[in-house]
Amino acid sequence: MGSAAMHIARTGLDAQDMRMRVISNNLANVNTTAYKKDRAAFETLAYQTVTAPGAPSTAESKYATGLNLGTGVKIQGTARIDTQGSFQQTNNSLDLALDGDGYFQVQMPGGTLGYTRAGNFSRSPEGLLITSEGYQVQPGITVPEGATAITIGTDGTVSATIPGQSASTELGQIQIAGFPNSAGLLSKGDNYLVETSASGAANLGIAGQDGRGNIRQGQLEGSNVNVVEELVDMIETQRAYEVNSKMISATNEMLQYVNQHFGS
Amino acid sequence: MDKLVYTAASGLKAHLASQAAIANNMANVSTIGFRADRVVFDRLSLQGSAFDTRTPASAEVADADRKPGTMQQTGRALDIAIPGESWLAVQSTDGTEAYTRRGDLQIAPSGVLQTGDGFPVIGSGGPITLPPVQSISISNDGKISIVPVGGDARNPQVIDTLKLSSPKGSETVKGTDNLLHVKGGGVLPADLDAKIETGMLEGSNVNMTQALVDMIENQRAYEVQANLMKSVKELDESSASLMRLPA
Repeated sequence: MGSAAMHIARTGLDAQDMRMRVISNNLANVNTTAYKKDRAAFETLAYQTVTAPGAPSTAESKYATGLNLGTGVKIQGTARIDTQGSFQQTNNSLDLALDGDGYFQVQMPGGTLGYTRAGNFSRSPEGLLITSEGYQVQPGITVPEGATAITIGTDGTVSATIPGQSASTELGQIQIAGFPNSAGLLSKGDNYLVETSASGAANLGIAGQDGRGNIRQGQLEGSNVNVVEELVDMIETQRAYEVNSKMISATNEMLQYVNQHFGS
Repeated sequence: MDKLVYTAASGLKAHLASQAAIANNMANVSTIGFRADRVVFDRLSLQGSAFDTRTPASAEVADADRKPGTMQQTGRALDIAIPGESWLAVQSTDGTEAYTRRGDLQIAPSGVLQTGDGFPVIGSGGPITLPPVQSISISNDGKISIVPVGGDARNPQVIDTLKLSSPKGSETVKGTDNLLHVKGGGVLPADLDAKIETGMLEGSNVNMTQALVDMIENQRAYEVQANLMKSVKELDESSASLMRLPA
């Protein structure tokens, strides 16, 4: 019983420490293309009933309220905040930003499909449209060698002028994946997300339809991290950490006081 | 030994329990919608052989502090906060209706709309299950509008309304599941005038300064009880020395 307060305060320290990790990861990704910030969600740990309400206090009386003691706090999970990041003009014809919901579908190593909003694509030596990690955009788009004036419409139609031809040729259409519950997608690092049972199956389709966002060529979506907000959260976390550590030292002093006065 | 020692011991025990409750409030300073526990001390009267003067203390958690927590703007579509005194109806683990101020709503893999700590939100007829949606929004009066997958984005459908209830006029108590329950069972009527704010969250209502002051005060009170026990020890030693034969 004596150390209950200390253990409860320790759960507070652990949770605030974890929140600090989430905040520092957000701050570190302030310039990552299309990064979506995380938020740490706190949850109380189970309450213990020390004295039940209605339990007899004396032979004739009963406790009116009882004693339910909480046992602390934990980080129940992190929630990705999928708000739109700001657009940055790059004028690079293979830089794409998504204005609205949805993800680009890419082929990850090992054959699984990954989803990303980072549209800083480039052309592979074979002419395929690939991400900055070299993963192929699905369904695949081949840009022939020497193609110029590549234009990508808001609906994802890719066209280019091929040497020897005067008119522009249509090369294919980039499709966008939507999810029933995009908050359930699992972050895989390198800005990729994968499908889970919580997210539901991807429904691939044309940009701008059925709630999917439009494609903006020559722009990139920035990170949605707000530095000021993160800094305020950081200070708040630090103070909450301090308060919990003060609780540990205060409880320690209480027990120490008893030890010193009754020890001899 | 003087019976005072037992009275003082009850005080020590109560203040340690109280310290644990304060520690729990402090630990939950960042928990969304958390309501601080208030500890009160109660006297336990004893009828003794001599005077009825001994009243040991016991600590009790009287109820949750009902003050509103701080509102934070988050911008997330499924984050809601209730500016008034109303609470959001949810289904507790035993299936009964309970109430929370926690508004970070999520869609579970099964499509059930639930709070961040996993309690299904109650609509006009029990928990709300959503079909696969393209977009979802919640209006000021708690109406949930969705555009189902393949539906017309210009024509959202209202599928349910969040139940908001005011505990005014009913006796309610915070349970061990951190939810507000009606004392003795039952449900609160829906408050049709209640308004919500979307894209906002209500934080914990733990006041850190108050918690620190409570902690120090509790610590000093504990020491006073300990000092009483020390006096008893000294009294006892001097009584024992009276009996001792001079060497």
